[in-house]
Amino acid sequence: MSLKRDLPTSTMSGFALSASLVLTILNILLHNIPNNIQTVGDELLKLNQTEGVANAVTTVVVYFRGFDTLGEIAVLFIASLGIGLMLDANKRCDIKAKSNFMLQTASKLLFPIIMLFGIYVMVYGHLSPGGGFQGGVIVASGVLLLLISFNEFELSHKVVSMLEMFAGASYVIIGLIGLLVLDKFLGNFLPNDVANMGMLLSGGIIPIIYIIVGVKVGSEMSVISENLIKRCEDV
Amino acid sequence: MIGFLILSVFIGIVIIAFASVTQKKLSDAIILFMGVGLGSVVLFFIFKAPDVALTEAVIGSGISSLIFLMALKHLKEKA
Repeated sequence: MSLKRDLPTSTMSGFALSASLVLTILNILLHNIPNNIQTVGDELLKLNQTEGVANAVTTVVVYFRGFDTLGEIAVLFIASLGIGLMLDANKRCDIKAKSNFMLQTASKLLFPIIMLFGIYVMVYGHLSPGGGFQGGVIVASGVLLLLISFNEFELSHKVVSMLEMFAGASYVIIGLIGLLVLDKFLGNFLPNDVANMGMLLSGGIIPIIYIIVGVKVGSEMSVISENLIKRCEDV
Repeated sequence: MIGFLILSVFIGIVIIAFASVTQKKLSDAIILFMGVGLGSVVLFFIFKAPDVALTEAVIGSGISSLIFLMALKHLKEKA
């Protein structure tokens, strides 16, 4: 009853929102923005020249806004903790996925490729689009494929929690070493010559931190998908 | 030409989003939501943001839709 009464209001507000979005993008398309405005993006691109990292987005995410990334990692950790608590991590559960032969064969074939692509995106985060967050989620989707196709596959909670703890702690430890050496939290204390820009070993701590972020995101997303996919009987 | 492509993708996104909101079956709504993510991947790529496009493809229309579907399955089992 109440849904029927509320529907016109929500439809009207949705229509107004989409109309305003259409008008905004029409405005952007019709009136080209003048090119001579000095923006924050230009300043960041100028600063990026000094760090020796080919992908400017990675420099902003991991270096200029490194503390924010630490906070985002903490948010993801709290989210996975909340899902584990809500779905009762201590209950007796078994993973009963209904899978067939086709899915099992396809996942055997696809799993190494997905893992390789995830690790590639993670390690080349400072050279090409992508990075720790994207690579970690791709790795977690490979684990999810294994979870839905094989009944006997179980995620080793000891290994996953060790990886997650190690990654979270080493992020803070690298930041504190930067604080000791350069008087700046997450200071780039490793050699980061601009001459090496575009090589795999370049940018000092930036690729290391993105790989750490990838390990942490991958383990947390794997645990979230495992928690959601397993079936628990009510005690 | 590119402006026409952007505009058509954008109008498509709006139509799919409308269909997703007004859908009666929740699983259909989630699949249409994945379509919205796919359209925004194209838009992000045209607007020269490959990082954001990759993130949207992996997180926005990939794993979050899967999490929605799994949560829907949990809800159906509880009910």
